[in-house]
Amino acid sequence: MRAKLIPATSLLWFSTALVLLAGAQIHAQAADMKFHAYLLWGKDDSKPPEGKASKPVDPEVSPKLKDLPLKWAHWFQLNRVDFAVPAGATNEAPMSEHCKLIVKRLPDSELEVSLVGKGKEVVKRKQLLPKDEMLVLGGNAPNSTGWLVVLKRIE
Amino acid sequence: MDYDAQLKLQALLDGELPEAEASEVTQWLARDTEAAALRDELRNTVEALAGFETGIQLPESREFFWSKVQRDIQRLETPAAKPAPTPLAALLRRFLIPASAVAVLFIAGVVLTRPIGQSGFTPAAEIETALADSGAFTYHDYSAGTTLVWLTYPADSEVADNDEMGTIE
Repeated sequence: MRAKLIPATSLLWFSTALVLLAGAQIHAQAADMKFHAYLLWGKDDSKPPEGKASKPVDPEVSPKLKDLPLKWAHWFQLNRVDFAVPAGATNEAPMSEHCKLIVKRLPDSELEVSLVGKGKEVVKRKQLLPKDEMLVLGGNAPNSTGWLVVLKRIE
Repeated sequence: MDYDAQLKLQALLDGELPEAEASEVTQWLARDTEAAALRDELRNTVEALAGFETGIQLPESREFFWSKVQRDIQRLETPAAKPAPTPLAALLRRFLIPASAVAVLFIAGVVLTRPIGQSGFTPAAEIETALADSGAFTYHDYSAGTTLVWLTYPADSEVADNDEMGTIE
């Protein structure tokens, strides 16, 4: 009798768990994705960029910059934009007067991220971005400086 | 009649008396009616017992019968045996059934929480990059969960007339 009950009970629990997981997955896909976007500037010296308000880089980003193969030792945060993107929607994060980040939710949790500078699309990229992971777009700038646009998914 | 006289009567009936003594006892029986009555009674008893004993036959040999009795006594005297230890297979089964259920749930959770339509588990396979910038390169730090896309933008020609942060900032 017990030998018959164990598989039946296991099957019931397994089915219940699958239903719960599937429900959680559907809920997770329908929920908004929340992001933090940062505009950072890198320099060799510790002197902040001239003519622009800057502050130290947020602690949630700063340690990860040290793991990247970037030559600059000093980073300054010029802007931070918090925004959310509902499922199937697109949202923009203005990073500066000339630069904005466009994030589009694609099916299957994929994102399409575009960086626009001076009205021109600099890069468009499709990828997954799990929670707490970061996409860093960057390049060299004059006078041995560098810029970064960091997109971090919060939820 | 004393005890010795009774024993002599019994010995006569069993044929154990010497001939001379048997003759004396026979003469005594002829004279003493009480002794004769006791002899008759003993004879009847011997005959009855002899008939009774021959009627009982064990269905098995004597040695086998008593060996069974001996085994029964030994079994009753032996202390109750300790319950046998649980076999290793039963212990493993007890552990493996819930462990298997947990493993299946974990695998199902991993499969279900992965976005549908992905072609593989390698993060690099999940990324599609469409770059207009042919000089760009991508660096992925799996441990930090960071993807770096390094661009040649702004090109030197674009920023030649701009200040330090002219193109981006």
